[in-house]
Amino acid sequence: MTQSNEAPLVEVQNLTYTHWNQTEPTLHDVSLQIRRGTLNVLVGPGGSGKSTLCDVFNGVIPHLHGGKMEGEVWVDGVNTLEAKVKDLAPKVGRVFQDPEIMFATLYVDDEIAFGPENLRFEVETIRATVEELLTTTDLAAHRHNLVWNLSGGQVQKLGLATALATHPQMIVLDEPTANLDPAATRSVHELVLSLRDEGMTTLLVTRELDEFLAEADQLMVLDEGRMLAAAPPQDVLREHGKYMVDTLGVWLPETSEIGIALHSAGLLGDRPVPITIEETLNALLQANLLSGRLAGEKVAQHVVPKGDVLISAQDLRFTYPGGIEALKGVSLDIRAGEWLAIVGRNGAGKSTLARLMVGLLKPQDGELTLFDKPAKRWKVQQLANNIALVFQNPEHQFLTDTVADEIGYSLTAQGIVEPAERERHIRETLDRLGLADAAETHPFALSAGLKRRLGVATMLVGEPQILLVDEPTYGQDKEMTHTLMALLKDIRSKGITIVMITHDMRLVQEYAERVLVMSDGRVLYDDTASALFERNDILEQANLRRTILHELLESIKQQGVEVPGVVRRAADLVDLLPVEKASG
Amino acid sequence: MHRAYPLTKLVWVVIVALALFFFKEPLSGFVMLVVMFIMALVFSRVPLRDVYGSARFIFSLGILLMFFHFFADPGEPVLRVGPFTVTDGGLYEGPRYFFRLSVIVLASFVLIWTTDIRDLMVSLTKAGMPYRFAFAIFLSLRFLPMMQREVEAVQAAHAIRGRATRSGLVHRFKLWQRYMFTVLINGLRKAEASATAIEARGFGAYPDRTYVKTVEFKPAGLILIVVFVALTAGLIYVERAF
Repeated sequence: MTQSNEAPLVEVQNLTYTHWNQTEPTLHDVSLQIRRGTLNVLVGPGGSGKSTLCDVFNGVIPHLHGGKMEGEVWVDGVNTLEAKVKDLAPKVGRVFQDPEIMFATLYVDDEIAFGPENLRFEVETIRATVEELLTTTDLAAHRHNLVWNLSGGQVQKLGLATALATHPQMIVLDEPTANLDPAATRSVHELVLSLRDEGMTTLLVTRELDEFLAEADQLMVLDEGRMLAAAPPQDVLREHGKYMVDTLGVWLPETSEIGIALHSAGLLGDRPVPITIEETLNALLQANLLSGRLAGEKVAQHVVPKGDVLISAQDLRFTYPGGIEALKGVSLDIRAGEWLAIVGRNGAGKSTLARLMVGLLKPQDGELTLFDKPAKRWKVQQLANNIALVFQNPEHQFLTDTVADEIGYSLTAQGIVEPAERERHIRETLDRLGLADAAETHPFALSAGLKRRLGVATMLVGEPQILLVDEPTYGQDKEMTHTLMALLKDIRSKGITIVMITHDMRLVQEYAERVLVMSDGRVLYDDTASALFERNDILEQANLRRTILHELLESIKQQGVEVPGVVRRAADLVDLLPVEKASG
Repeated sequence: MHRAYPLTKLVWVVIVALALFFFKEPLSGFVMLVVMFIMALVFSRVPLRDVYGSARFIFSLGILLMFFHFFADPGEPVLRVGPFTVTDGGLYEGPRYFFRLSVIVLASFVLIWTTDIRDLMVSLTKAGMPYRFAFAIFLSLRFLPMMQREVEAVQAAHAIRGRATRSGLVHRFKLWQRYMFTVLINGLRKAEASATAIEARGFGAYPDRTYVKTVEFKPAGLILIVVFVALTAGLIYVERAF
């Protein structure tokens, strides 16, 4: 990392900012610098102020959002308080988490031209820029597409293109791959890295650090509005790593988690905290932790079917009215008491399968038996008592004005009308799910984590046998995800089968007992998660990836070390190593 | 028609609308309707299928209005249908209103079929409208697919949650309220975020802006207006003469 003596592109000094409708500041005394040509990664738990911070560079704060701002922000020598948004717009390109919101036109090429057109660039300049960006983002073939007819990954790339169209000095990306499948994520990541290689100054807010942490010039950590650290990643991990993992709940690459554990146990000495797989492997070797065989017992690698079959599909097929063949012959059984993950890239057929299972769609070909009755004979509302779907966006499910009423609504739908019984039920459910304090709150006013919990709560009222959760990590940080997973574990212990649809392989690694891999309308794999990670062919075909942890395990095995046992998290691997744990 | 300048076409729709209010005889309205179909099928080269598909919409409104006038207008009773009476005044006025509505709606469709909304917007700004206003229509169109998806998702969610009341109508109203609420809230959120986003992209920074794709005014298009004014004058004359 070269330390140049030139002035930083961005300088933030003692920034404290309070939103207009809040009493407490969202950002406290934040100071940071961003140097030209660097890749800067910003992390922090949900609600820590990351998006707010992203808004200060292009003047949205304070000029468009109001509020109270103290301290100074300098961008390319200009003070943002004194400058106007239109002066800062050409300097800073911002991509929002949901780029569709920022689109203002109908067609892809128009969209890219929109920014420069507003700023009165010359027609020829704009045309050239549009061509260039269409090529860079691989969207040239889609130039006349309607903006909302693009895939998730393409939407993000278009967002990037629009931000780049004004030839800014810096781009700010807010969770660009938050809801993309692994293939699209990889594609967007490559684009971001290539931009950095060409010298673009980048500020990236992301939870998916696996690819970026090693490449980042600076890692910034926000903790409840305060800048905990802003330094090269190695330094931050050394000093704050443990806190970040244990207390703050920041997603770090599993390799770094292992590195931090080694550091805490004093096994790294002066060496930097490893980030990449190679570095981690070396660290483990140098600490003499890999010899022969690691502790642990051999565990069965295959799913042993037990429990009654609740759902059975035989050669299931489904084609949407537009002609898209979503399922091309899917066969599977879902048994009572399982924890099943259905994975696959977008378009693989996961949602279609889910909809068929809850009765929103009826099978066209093949057989589908739900709870001993053919799917076609079920009515959606009755089926909801047996299999409950927790929506990706919980807001879609809310029907009333308070949390307590939501539960009440479900009770009424179940036919439970006696007041005393309802009271009891509502109180029990709210207590069980930690929603008691929010009983009178409007569902839409809840935090993201609580919304999801309420979504689960309402679905549990009917005492379903299967709980189907669609993308549990949507919009959640690590802490929220773990809380939700703990909740699901608890529900499972009561005998309810859990089926989760996800493309988060870390989640699958940690929680799923059985994995169904779907690709292009077919089932490619149906067995344990750990066995899946050894099947490169299937992962490739389905456009999925091994987690970094499993890639590390692979490298360890290549060293001739046997790794018995099932490793679900970084901590599990650390447990297997002959490391003396520090007390506490 | 496709190549005519958007603003010309817009003015044309306005003229047609005005003309209809001057017509006294249903026959004039009928003539206009036929002319309008010719405009759609021949001069705009709209596929018959599209016209046919929209015809249902166009005519159903008109027919409803016509029947309303059959029964509501004053005049000598002609026919009794149950408790309702059809008057001769109604028989006369009904078709007039039918044609009025149908012709205007069809003309608007022709405008939409033959004009790129973007071009319409650009031509409005050229005529002097501040581009922020012209864009407003454009931007609202942008949100339609998003809204549609929201509604679909909410419908699916509600289907799963089941009924909580016995009464069908009340329940349906409540559900409708919910859709509206969710869609509205999300719409507002997105609108606010969208407004900030486009302003951060320089929208409204300057009073004018560059247009990469521009539309040129073609004087030849004025023939459209001339022809229709003449047609209108002719029909009015014919009406007065008989």
